[in-house]
Amino acid sequence: MIQLYNVYKSYNNTPALVDVSFIIKKGAFVFITGPSGAGKSTLLKLLYRWERYDKGQVLVNGINVGKLKFNKLWQLRRHIGVVFQDYKLLPEKTILENVAFALEIVGADKKTIRYKAWEALKNVGLSHRKDAYPLELSGGEQQRVAIARALVNDPKILLADEPTGNLDPEMASEILSLFEKANAEGTTVVLATHSENILREGNHAVITLRRGKIADTRIVA
Amino acid sequence: MNILKTTFINIKSNKQLFFASVGTITIALSILGLFLFVYINLNSVLSFWNEQVQLIVYLDDEISQGEKKRLEKLFSSESEVDSFDFISREKAWENFQSMFSEKSSFLKGMGFNPLPASYNLRVKASPKRLETIQALAEKLNQQAGVESVEYGEEWINRFEAFMILMQVFLFALGALLCLGAILIISNTVKLSVLSRKNEIELMLLTGATPGFIKFPFFLEGVFHGVLGALISLSLMKGLHLYLVSRFQGSIETFGRGMDFQFISPSFVMIIIFSSILVGWLGSYYSLQQFLGTYKKL
Repeated sequence: MIQLYNVYKSYNNTPALVDVSFIIKKGAFVFITGPSGAGKSTLLKLLYRWERYDKGQVLVNGINVGKLKFNKLWQLRRHIGVVFQDYKLLPEKTILENVAFALEIVGADKKTIRYKAWEALKNVGLSHRKDAYPLELSGGEQQRVAIARALVNDPKILLADEPTGNLDPEMASEILSLFEKANAEGTTVVLATHSENILREGNHAVITLRRGKIADTRIVA
Repeated sequence: MNILKTTFINIKSNKQLFFASVGTITIALSILGLFLFVYINLNSVLSFWNEQVQLIVYLDDEISQGEKKRLEKLFSSESEVDSFDFISREKAWENFQSMFSEKSSFLKGMGFNPLPASYNLRVKASPKRLETIQALAEKLNQQAGVESVEYGEEWINRFEAFMILMQVFLFALGALLCLGAILIISNTVKLSVLSRKNEIELMLLTGATPGFIKFPFFLEGVFHGVLGALISLSLMKGLHLYLVSRFQGSIETFGRGMDFQFISPSFVMIIIFSSILVGWLGSYYSLQQFLGTYKKL
């Protein structure tokens, strides 16, 4: 599902990723960890082609990411859901509208939008608050909305960049269980975190980055 | 998603800016329109006068009947000549006296008739009328019994040179004002784009096609242009109606059958189409700039 071969990426001659290679199989759940500045976010950004890499090759869902032109990026990104530490919800829309927004973008019809958006909110346990605005919700609830939005288009891959970074441990484990639920339904999950608790709690494969290089990998059976 | 709805949400969230820039475009287009209006009306005066131009062939006082016959035969043989009148010395003197009746005591005191006899030639209407008249005048000037030929060539030539100058001026002004409008629209759309930066980033992330992202903004730019054009055209029409109601009487004394011309339908279409183009270019420019930063990442 995700293949990286000798990927190198630098910002103004400062290396951010050096010679990174790994393969993540379809349906896997993988943590990417490491201290701040290790290159976790950069690595995720390469996968959904928010940023370019300098050398190597990245294949995501069979698409050669490096060869993709700007106006064809949507073909890659429609297979990928992304969740951020700061949720990136639109404050002037209700949470239902926030989820529906992702469906509108891919051109779903009105009926599908209404049904699927509500269904996605129900899956994260927030359908009763569908008319609330993001800022009326707690951090954990906002992150659940963001996850609902990322999953509403049934992506093959779910990427998450420190999704529990702003949350207390209890909320964090609740969020983790949502990712595990998505994974159980067949979505490949790549979750970047530096939280030891999360790593311990979820018994999944781990790729550890240190100064842009893969320092360690843990593979689970 | 309903693209029109998105466009209106964009406009609504930047209402003040939208109206300020539409207002500026209206003013710019009205200035251009005013000059166009003046140009069109001067042009209609010119063509009106062109049609009035007659060829006056003044005859020698000692012209013989034979020479007169020969001239009349020549006029009839010229295909361009519509009709001609003979005005004898006496008739010319009569006309002259009736035109200047207030000075009749002075004229009566003159005791002799200083005016020559003449032929008035009307030339058939054609786009090359003036050239025809010029060629004919040269030919007639060389005939025996002809003293001189007049058709007011000098002022027509001068007036035409002035109209060409005016055309160049209008083009330059139009180009400059269009450029200004493009910059204004591009700035407004840029602010609109920036105010929705988060939403656009989300669109990009979720896999919106570039067209889906750009189209509402293109439409917003086009709305600027078209709205500006429509308002300024309405203002121009208002001015036209006012001038007609107020001054139609006095312009008719100037030339029978003359009236105030409005910008022709084809010019109105040109103005509206250019405003669409200007609006599109303005938003295109700012969108390319904005999305360009994501391309480079």
